[in-house]
Amino acid sequence: MARVMAEDAFEAVVGAHHAEIRRYVLRITARAGDADDLSQETFLRALRAHRSLPPGANVRAWLFAIATNLCRNHFRAQTRRRRTYAAAALDRSEMDAAWPEGEVLAGEARARIERVVAGLPVKQRLAFTMRKMHDLDYGAIGASLQCSEESARAHVFQALRKIRRGLDGLIPVRTESQP
Amino acid sequence: MSHPHPVCRELEPDLLAVATGEAAPAAAERIEGHVARCRPCREELRHYRAIEGLVGALRRAPLPGDDATLARAELESRLADLRRRLVSFGIFPSPLGPMLIARSELGVSLVRYLGGTGSVASEARRLLGEEAIEDRAAPEALYAELVEYLEGRRTRLDWPLDLRGARSDFQRRVLDATAQLPYGAVASYAGIARRIGAPAAARPVAQALRWNPLPIAIPCHRVIGSSGALVGYAGKRVALKQRLLAIEGVRTLPARGDFRVRREAMYALHVGDSEYCLPTCGSLASRPLSELMLFGSRERAEAAGLAPCTTCRPDLHPLSA
Repeated sequence: MARVMAEDAFEAVVGAHHAEIRRYVLRITARAGDADDLSQETFLRALRAHRSLPPGANVRAWLFAIATNLCRNHFRAQTRRRRTYAAAALDRSEMDAAWPEGEVLAGEARARIERVVAGLPVKQRLAFTMRKMHDLDYGAIGASLQCSEESARAHVFQALRKIRRGLDGLIPVRTESQP
Repeated sequence: MSHPHPVCRELEPDLLAVATGEAAPAAAERIEGHVARCRPCREELRHYRAIEGLVGALRRAPLPGDDATLARAELESRLADLRRRLVSFGIFPSPLGPMLIARSELGVSLVRYLGGTGSVASEARRLLGEEAIEDRAAPEALYAELVEYLEGRRTRLDWPLDLRGARSDFQRRVLDATAQLPYGAVASYAGIARRIGAPAAARPVAQALRWNPLPIAIPCHRVIGSSGALVGYAGKRVALKQRLLAIEGVRTLPARGDFRVRREAMYALHVGDSEYCLPTCGSLASRPLSELMLFGSRERAEAAGLAPCTTCRPDLHPLSA
C-alpha cells in the first residue's frame, strides 16, 4: 500500500541523513547528549510530516530546517533557564581576552575559529555551520532560518568577519616585495 | 575592516565572496583589479583565503562525540513506537454522507460517519488525537473498496484491522465475532453473546457494537434484535443500517420508527450446522433468533460456504422473492 511505501522511503531518509544531522546539531550544541536528543526529535517530527512533503522536495534541506528550528528553541529555552537561575552566563569578552597571542599553529587557529563560532549569535552560528560545514546553499539556509537568501549570506559573511577579527595575529603578515 | 577607505568598504562584501569562491564573474574581476592596486585589501583577501583553508580543515577534522551508532539505535526504536501510534486519515464523500477513514501501520483503525456540527477536520482531530495526519493517499485504497461495497459491487472487505482502540477485551471479542458474519446474513445480539460464550450478555454486546470503531469493516449492521427489529445503528442512524442490509440483499419492513427483517421470508442456518434451510424446516420456526443466522438469498448462503439442507431442499423449493 501507499502507506507502506512511504515508510520504506522514510527508512531511506533516516539512513541517508541521520549521521549528518546529528553531526550538525553536535557542531551547534557541542554536546553529544543534546545532539542525540535534538537529532532524534528532528526525525520524529520528520516522520509525522513526511507524507505531506511534496514529491521532489529537497529532503536534506528540509531536515536541516527542522533541526535548525529545534536548535533555536533549545537555545531559547537554555537562555530562559540561565536567566531564571541567574547562572553564570558565558562572558565572551573575557573569553576573547584570554586567547593566546601570536601563535601561528594551524591547530591553534582552528581551535580559535571554533571558539569564535561558539561565541557567535545563534543565527550566525547556524548559518555558518550549515554553509561551511555542510555545504548548504543560501536558499536552504534562508529557508531554515526563515529569512531571505541574502540575509542568510549576510549571516555567514558576518561570521567570517568575526572569525577574521578573532584570528588577528594568528595569520602571519606576509612581507610583500611586490607593490 | 581595519582600513576605512570608502571604496574598500564598498567592495568588502565582494572581496569576501571572492575569498569564499562565491563571487559572480563581474565582481571577481572588479576585486582582482582592486587588490592589484590596494595593499590592505590584498592582505585582507589573503586572510580570508587562509580562513577558508582553516575552515575546510576544521570541517575535515574529526569531531569529538561524532558517533551516531547508539543514537541511531535509539532513534529506530522511537520511530517504530511513533509509527505504531501514527494514524493517517482521509475524509471522503460517500452515499452515506462524509466518512472518515483512518489507518495505522497495523490496519484500518477508525471508520466514522461524520456530519455532526462543527468542521469535519476538527471532529477528526478530536476522534483521532494529535498524532493523526490528514493524508487521503493512505486510506484511498480502502475508500475505493468501500465505494465498491456501497454500490453492491463488492461483498468482502478484507482489510487488516487495527483493534487496539477497543475499549475492553470483551468488546474485542464481540467485534471479532461480528467480523465473522458473512455478507448478506444477519444474527442477533444474543446470538453474538452466545458465540463469545457469554449467552446472558446480549445488552453488553449491543453496547459494545454501539461503539464499534469500524462500522462496515466490522459489519455490526448485520446484528439485530431478537425480535427481528434492527434496533439501532451508529447512534440514531437506523435507516443507514436498513440501507446497508438492503445493499446486501436483506429486505426489511418499516415498523414503528424502526425496521425489521421478515424471518419467515429468509433462509436460516442453525448455528453449528453446515446446511441452510427454509425457515419452516423442522423446529427452526420456533427456535430463538439467537440460535440462527438468517440469509436474504440462497446465493448469499451458498457464498458463505453452506449447502442446501437435504431435508427441506431450499434449492428445489426456493422462497418466493
